[in-house]
Amino acid sequence: MFDHLGNLGSQVRRITTAVQSLLLIITFVLLSFAIAPTKAAFAQTATLNPQQVVEYALTLEKLEADFYLRANNAIQTGRINNAPPIAQAALVSYGQDEQQHVTDLSAVLRSLGGNPDAVTIPASPVYTAILGRDPFANLPDLLLALQYVEDLGAAAYKGQVQNLLAANADTILAGALEIHTVEARHAAGIRFLRQTLLGADIRPWIRSESEVIYNEVRSGLPIPFENEAFDGFATEDEVLKLVGPILAASPQSTGPAAETNTMMGNVTQQDCPAGTTLQFISGGFACMF
Amino acid sequence: MTSPVQPLGKISFSSRRKLLKLGLCGLGALALTAVPQVVTAQTANGSRTLTFNADDVGILNFALLLEELEAAFYAAVVKSGKISNPKELDYLRALGRHEAAHVVFLRQVLGNQVTFQTKDLRFNRQGLNAVLRDRDTILNTAVSLEDTGVHAYNGAGPKLTNPTYLLAAGSIVSVEGRHAAGVRALLGRPVTEPDSDRAVSDAELVDELNPFRGRAYDELYTPKQIVEIVGSLNLINNPIAGALVA
Repeated sequence: MFDHLGNLGSQVRRITTAVQSLLLIITFVLLSFAIAPTKAAFAQTATLNPQQVVEYALTLEKLEADFYLRANNAIQTGRINNAPPIAQAALVSYGQDEQQHVTDLSAVLRSLGGNPDAVTIPASPVYTAILGRDPFANLPDLLLALQYVEDLGAAAYKGQVQNLLAANADTILAGALEIHTVEARHAAGIRFLRQTLLGADIRPWIRSESEVIYNEVRSGLPIPFENEAFDGFATEDEVLKLVGPILAASPQSTGPAAETNTMMGNVTQQDCPAGTTLQFISGGFACMF
Repeated sequence: MTSPVQPLGKISFSSRRKLLKLGLCGLGALALTAVPQVVTAQTANGSRTLTFNADDVGILNFALLLEELEAAFYAAVVKSGKISNPKELDYLRALGRHEAAHVVFLRQVLGNQVTFQTKDLRFNRQGLNAVLRDRDTILNTAVSLEDTGVHAYNGAGPKLTNPTYLLAAGSIVSVEGRHAAGVRALLGRPVTEPDSDRAVSDAELVDELNPFRGRAYDELYTPKQIVEIVGSLNLINNPIAGALVA
């Protein structure tokens, strides 16, 4: 589904075979560094400070808002021509909610001294990475992709509440909680549409880990995540591994915005060995000879 | 005929040992031993007063009360026979199973810090009958309970000190949000909560708890506000007291 390393591999194969082995090694090393920049220091769960949590959340919200814009556009232009009014109304409403989250999180980030405009997504996010095909071609695929996105969104917020608690960031924690359950409501609404309109074997709640793209069930914590009455969470590095391929700008649209993308860990030319040139490619970046 | 308590026995956690571990040492950051038992009082009508302290244990006991209320409601709904639509019945049965699982979980987490037993709760038969009147009333009451549950857990979140409790609350509250959304969808209502549906008005919302407001957000209610909402539903006779809800 998220054929992250596979895409990367196919890109890399286009590059001259002489440097292939070395290039691969450098790419993988830097890619893992970008996805989990604090992995070494914080082991399993990266500790983000409140500003980093807001930047991370804002990136996901910008992506969601953009996805809904494209989804609603596909419906309005007739590309998806069989969306019932109940689905159309829901998608417009959820898209407005995500846009509201972008607006308000941007204000929060500014209040923390951050710059919301520096939190960017590519001009053309690679949404085909979600299903391995165009999610805007038909209603079933659109709703399935949205289910994955919304469930992941809720899990991503849940994965940050402990960081905010540890930082005594009560107000930001409150804001995150205010959004967290709305993402869950969206996910439930999408699931209801899939069950009701498409006859999918799905419910508003998560009955099986196979319904989501993150690690819904995990051990080592005294919470029975395997029970459908308890929703799982996703850590930052887990979410970025899933979202990375979507955020990877295609070679044509790579621009300054993508290169400063915080999701790529603010990779710059300085991160590349001498004699190589930083280039963003599908699934990550490479230092090209 | 399914007994309303039957789902409780069907809850299958993969490992009882995991829950035991939870009760004994899984939440080591907070020492929960040697907390004095809450003094309980019997009122004139025989309903035990439920007292909630302003600490993690008080918050979890308060959450338990809401879960007990929800579990009892759904059990009564299923028993009432007023829901005939198979899809609606499927939803309500599932919600009842989930709330019962939350009750089991919270009781396991609290261990001997539980301040009341299920049998101590005195449900108001008249109030319950009123909300079980017909399908529409049942579903709309479910929405009220679930929305209230979301606001209650959210409001409790920043007050918790134990990070594992917070994660557990997060694990539960998003399921409550899914419940609210699912039943709202059955009714053709929007899955998110419009301001006009909120039991707590804009003016009554606590500013510090609510950096964001509106349909795109699930606002944080104080335990006191939750008690007022629950009281207005007239489903439970027990007096509620303690610093948490003051």
